Amino acid sequence: MKMIVHDLENAGELPWLTAFGSGQDVIGIDNAVIRHCTGCFGCWTRTPGTCVLKDEYRHLGARLAACDEMVLISRCTYGGYSPFVCNVLNRMLPYVLPYFRMLKGQMHHQLRYEQTVKFNVYFYGEDLTANERQTAQELVQANSLNLGAKGFEVSFYDNIRQLKEVLS
Amino acid sequence: MNIALINGSPKGGATNSGFLLEKLRPLLPQEAAISTYRIGPKALKNEQYLELLAMDMLVLAFPLYFDAIPSHLLRMLTEMERSTQSSNQRPQTVRVYAMINNGFFEGDQCKLAVELIRNWCERCGFMFGTAFGHGAGEMFGSVGHVPVGSGPLKNLGLALEHLVGSIRSGESTEPFFTQPNFPRGLWKLSSTQLFWNATAKKNSLKPKDLRRRPGMPPIRLPQSGGKRQDV
Ligand SMILES: Cc1cc2nc3c(=O)[nH]c(=O)nc-3n(C[C@H](O)[C@H](O)[C@H](O)COP(=O)(O)O)c2cc1C
Repeated sequence: MKMIVHDLENAGELPWLTAFGSGQDVIGIDNAVIRHCTGCFGCWTRTPGTCVLKDEYRHLGARLAACDEMVLISRCTYGGYSPFVCNVLNRMLPYVLPYFRMLKGQMHHQLRYEQTVKFNVYFYGEDLTANERQTAQELVQANSLNLGAKGFEVSFYDNIRQLKEVLS
Repeated sequence: MNIALINGSPKGGATNSGFLLEKLRPLLPQEAAISTYRIGPKALKNEQYLELLAMDMLVLAFPLYFDAIPSHLLRMLTEMERSTQSSNQRPQTVRVYAMINNGFFEGDQCKLAVELIRNWCERCGFMFGTAFGHGAGEMFGSVGHVPVGSGPLKNLGLALEHLVGSIRSGESTEPFFTQPNFPRGLWKLSSTQLFWNATAKKNSLKPKDLRRRPGMPPIRLPQSGGKRQDV
C-alpha cells in the first residue's frame, strides 16, 4: 500500500487523483483538521509509537509502517513542502525511535519498524527558482536518510495539469 | 533600530530556542529597541504581521523538524509573505537572521533549514543577514549555569559572535554550523540514559516499552468509486 499525502484542494473533483488513490492511504488537505506538532516527545516517551494529540493524525507512524511507499504531492514552498504536507510529516515522528544511530558519518534515528518505505515526492509550482529546486532535492534526500527510506525520487511540475498527466 | 526576537519553538515552558534568544539579547547593540514574539501553533494576528514588516531586523530562533522548518512556523512565514504582497510599504530594509538548534549532534544538519529561510527572504524581498545551526540543542537546559564561550558552550560563543558581527556591520555572511565542545559519543550516551530512558521511567515505562510497535489502526481507505472501505 502507498501513503499519499497531498495539498490539492477540492480533491473530490479530480477523478485522476481519486483513481491514483484508490485502495491507498490518502491524506489530503480537505480531510479532518490537523493540529501542529507541539514538540512534547510524548509519541516517544508517553505513548510510544502514537502521537498524544487527539485528532485523526495520531496513528501516522503505524499507518506509514503498513505502507511500502510514501508519496508526497506538494506545492514547493521556499524549496520545501507546503505547510499542510510539512504538518503531516512533522506528525510522523512516532514512526522512528528516539534513539540515535550513525549513518554516513552523521547521527540519525533508529527505526521503530523493520519495514522501510520508498519516498516519492512530486513538487509543483509555476516559478520555482534554481535555489528552491536545489533545496527541495536535498531536503527529500535528507528526509529519506532520516526516515531510513529504501530510496527516493523527486520531480518538479509547473502546474497540476502536468502532474495529472504523469499520475493518470 | 527595531529588532524582533522571534521564538519559533511550539513547546510550552522552557525552550532551547528561548535559551539562544536569552543569550543573544545582551550582545545586541544598546540603542536597539527590542520586541519579542512567540510563534506557537496559534496564528499571529494581522496587526502583528504588520509590526514585523516594520522592523529593521528579525531574529528567528527555532528547532529543526525533519531537516527543515516546523510546520506552524512555516505557516507563519507563508502568511508573512502574503502580507508583503498586500502591504504597500516596500520592506527591502528588513534583515533576517536565524538561530536554529537541532537534536542530533551535528549542527550542519540545519543547513537546509537555512536555505529555506534564504529562499523565503528572496520571495519576501528581505535581506538574508546570516544564520547559525547548533547541534545537541536539548543539552542547553542542563548547562544554563555555564558562561557562554566556555566549556560545552565555547562554540555557542563563536556562533553568537558570528551572528552579532553581521547584525552590527549590516553585511550578509555565510551561515555558521557548530555543536557543543564534547565528544559525540557522550551525547549519544547521555541522551539515551539521561533523557529518553529517564523520561520513560517518569512515565512508568521501561526502555523496551519505548520500542513498542503499534499496529495499523482501523482506518477507511478510499475506493475508486469515491466510497471508503474499512481495513
Ligand atoms: C517533530 C520533530 C522533528 C524533529 N526533527 C529533527 C531533525 O530532523 N533533526 C534533528 O537534529 N532534530 C530534530 N528534532 C529535535 C529538535 O530539533 C530538538 O529537540 C530541539 O532542541 C528542540 O528545540 P526547542 O526547545 O527550541 O523546541 C525534531 C523534533 C521534533 C519534535
